[in-house]
Amino acid sequence: MTDASGRSRRRFIRAVGAGGIAALAGCSAERTADPTSEPADTTDDSGGETSDPGTTTGEPTEPMADTLVVATYPPFVNAPSTSPGAWLKREFESEFDATLVYQTPDSELNYYIERAVQGVEFEADVYVGLNTGQLIDADGQRGEGQFTDPLFAEAGALEGLDAVRDGLQFDPQNRAVPFDTGYISLVWNATMDGGDFVAPETFDELAENHAGDLITQNPTTSSTGEAFMLHTIDAFGPEGYLDYWDRLQDGGITVLGNWSDSYAAYESEEAPMVVSYSTDQVYAAAEDQDLDRHQIRFLNDQGYANPEGMARFADTDAPRLAEAFMEFMLRPEIQAGIAQRNVAFPAIADAPLPEDYAQYAKEPPESVTFTYDELEANLGTWTDQWARRFAGG
Amino acid sequence: MDRPVGAALRRRVSEARLGRALRRAREAGPAALAERVALPLLAVGTALLLAVLFYYPVATVFVDAVVEDGRLTFGPLAEVLTDEFYLGRVLGFTAYQAALSTLLSVVLGLPGAWVLARFEFRGRATLRSVTMVPFVLPSVLVAVGFYATFGADGTLNATLSAVGLPPVDLLPSLGAILVAHAFYNAPLVTRVVTAAWESVDASAVETARSLGASRPRAFLDVVLPQLLPAMLTGAALTFVFTFASFAIPLALGGAQFATIEVFIYSARQQLEYGRAASLAALETGVSLSLMALYLRYERAQAAERRGNRTLARRPLVPESWTRERLASRLAVAGYAAVVAVVFLAPLASTVYASVAGDAGLTLDSYRFLLERQTTGATFQVKPFPAIVNSVLFAAATLLVAVPMGVAMGVLTTRRFRGRWLVDALSMAPLAVSGIVVGLGMLRGLVFGFEAFGYRFTVTGAVAIVAAHAVAAYPFVVRTVAPPLDTLDRSLVESARALGASRARALVDVELPLVWPGVVAGAAFAVAISIGEFDSTVILAEGGGTYTMPVAVERFIGRRLGPATAMGTVLLAVTAAAFVVVERVGGEFRG
Repeated sequence: MTDASGRSRRRFIRAVGAGGIAALAGCSAERTADPTSEPADTTDDSGGETSDPGTTTGEPTEPMADTLVVATYPPFVNAPSTSPGAWLKREFESEFDATLVYQTPDSELNYYIERAVQGVEFEADVYVGLNTGQLIDADGQRGEGQFTDPLFAEAGALEGLDAVRDGLQFDPQNRAVPFDTGYISLVWNATMDGGDFVAPETFDELAENHAGDLITQNPTTSSTGEAFMLHTIDAFGPEGYLDYWDRLQDGGITVLGNWSDSYAAYESEEAPMVVSYSTDQVYAAAEDQDLDRHQIRFLNDQGYANPEGMARFADTDAPRLAEAFMEFMLRPEIQAGIAQRNVAFPAIADAPLPEDYAQYAKEPPESVTFTYDELEANLGTWTDQWARRFAGG
Repeated sequence: MDRPVGAALRRRVSEARLGRALRRAREAGPAALAERVALPLLAVGTALLLAVLFYYPVATVFVDAVVEDGRLTFGPLAEVLTDEFYLGRVLGFTAYQAALSTLLSVVLGLPGAWVLARFEFRGRATLRSVTMVPFVLPSVLVAVGFYATFGADGTLNATLSAVGLPPVDLLPSLGAILVAHAFYNAPLVTRVVTAAWESVDASAVETARSLGASRPRAFLDVVLPQLLPAMLTGAALTFVFTFASFAIPLALGGAQFATIEVFIYSARQQLEYGRAASLAALETGVSLSLMALYLRYERAQAAERRGNRTLARRPLVPESWTRERLASRLAVAGYAAVVAVVFLAPLASTVYASVAGDAGLTLDSYRFLLERQTTGATFQVKPFPAIVNSVLFAAATLLVAVPMGVAMGVLTTRRFRGRWLVDALSMAPLAVSGIVVGLGMLRGLVFGFEAFGYRFTVTGAVAIVAAHAVAAYPFVVRTVAPPLDTLDRSLVESARALGASRARALVDVELPLVWPGVVAGAAFAVAISIGEFDSTVILAEGGGTYTMPVAVERFIGRRLGPATAMGTVLLAVTAAAFVVVERVGGEFRG
């Protein structure tokens, strides 16, 4: 660290001494000449960034076949509770003669879509953590700017693919392979109202008596909020969901910006119910928290399924290693490990999970979800209509 | 005197003035040369930095508003401008809440300036320093603090029920947005007005008093006019900030109170660049117009004055009590109570959340930070590097932004036609929202731009500092320009006549006279750098150059402990940084 600080000071002094533009040129030039300038550890996820060519359009110089760059969303490697990232990397590297490097852009898949549109190369070989909406976004942008070739390759005949549970496959073109799944449900606090609070069991009951007791998320800025809105569309139809939301709004439902805002509000007992995941108790139990504050309710006995997929970038220079990684991800013991660390359900039926996992991770009697085709045609309209109606109130 | 500045300066200075200055300086030696060209060079550097790190990236975003399929159509922009929902409901509500937020921030901030500028008490300097702390807090922490304080089960309701009052339901609501905006911006108002109040000339007040004016009369006629530009600076900045507010309405107001920024963000997330860019253009247009209007007003206000003896502060606890003294001290006490509720309670709630567990107090969250530091993987965000990076970036930002700001302050207080436009353009970083700048940086700089067969990319520590400096220097300009403008020109002219170079006159004559403004600007630079999130996370993407706010963001999870523990560290480091800035900065005055 002292090394890095010292360097940035030197860079800085040079920058000030030479004025603005020299600072920038210095920055780029130095990055090309000194690609491993950050802590000299190629397994650092900064590898994705620091080895980014500064001023050239050329290929990365190092051979990529023994390095797999896995792009994913930040909590997959960096959650404060548990995250599968570090464990996966250890397991993978102990078996394969390869280095796994993570890239975790804040804007997630959009980062790569935007690069494709701008015609900028990137190093990621696999994306882990795709959902249907993101896949639709990626396909929808094709044709913009320099984004002409497909972003993802077809998965092909991966070993273990046939073990993936029915109904989780969400990509009609078989590029994305599900590796875990979650269900959006209500999480409720049985200690509220002096211990008398009981969550409603149906959507109608929710609107009639309990709309003011629920915190959910804005579908335009949050994936859990989007899933909950889609669940109401499944229940009331594209013609009826806005009227249903009118009822919720009249009843005083709270719609916050994202999952963490709303979970914070829920933890402050701002309301007795929040839209979250049906695996909520897994973490609460591990932390010895009061499970009465972490009850699960599936409205209409349904949960909205949100499978997470992985896909190989079409222009990866390590296609074989990427395939090997995807097969590795589908192995039963790895599936169990991911599910526990990512607090989710495995994508295959026979993952060796501990006995009590099923006790805390609740599965809905019935799962609902929209298909790729249904969402591709309607998602944008549904969300926009929702935003206009709700903000107008 | 009509001197070309800003964009035109680059061209003309390099040809004519620089040539003349160089000729003259060559006769006078290298030191004089450095002095003569220092200011113009700084200005050119500032302009280039702005062009590369601000105007170019922002322009790449705005292109989406007017270009479709490579043709100039103005289609997306026209679509938004003809949509009554965006023009009426979204823009209307955004302006409405910004106006109310500004009003509340000024009302809450002004008494603070009065207390800090007019009373002497133990810890005044420290208190003055830490007024900047709210400014740097990540919005997620503020949301947590607000929920813990004003929420249904929060400390406010606990206090109310303890004294037998009915509970109040404050969250989420428009009121919560307004109070949170005041939490962020009232200290800003306090800050700039305190700096102005501390440079009010004591002899003018004494003259008024000796001519028979009562104390209130003297305040109204002599002091207030000198505070007005600072008050309006605070109000204008607050309006612009709250107009482009994103995270607070999202966290505390919910979807019902969505601002234009929320719509920009969600359009960007849906990759609807045309709509995002058009809304951003609309938002920036409003902000920039207001900024320009304000700058014109500020010019009109500028008046010559002489002398620099400042008003003496009264002790907070007087030796003897009169009715008037009692009344003013009661007012101070009342204000302190309000401050405790609005500012201290959310901060205390955040700290409390970092040690609260299911079964009473626990240090688990801090243990998490230690564990992450010692056993965390290399690709995970660790607390200590975040602290070190934040402090280094803040120090570097300070060193870049203060000279930039002072140079621009000096140059834009010259009189020339259309300088309000130059001024407005140099102030633009304040008026463009973080989302727009962030998106532009991503597409324009991180992905790079092609020229001469190369792709130039801008990332890493130097780029972060430069981005922080671009965001911070307008504050230095704003805190330095008004006092510079009202400075007695003849002082500088005398110095120049006595043989001092322009730079020497600045350092020896002008800077000491406007020093409170420079220190206030320095504190802002540190605040901006420590609190900045958007461009840091983009320019540091995945690298080892993350900061404390980034760490807070990454530590959010199913429990609030780790994020609030990191937030508490952020609070402590930030408060210490401000105290250092002001203690060191204060010495200049002697």
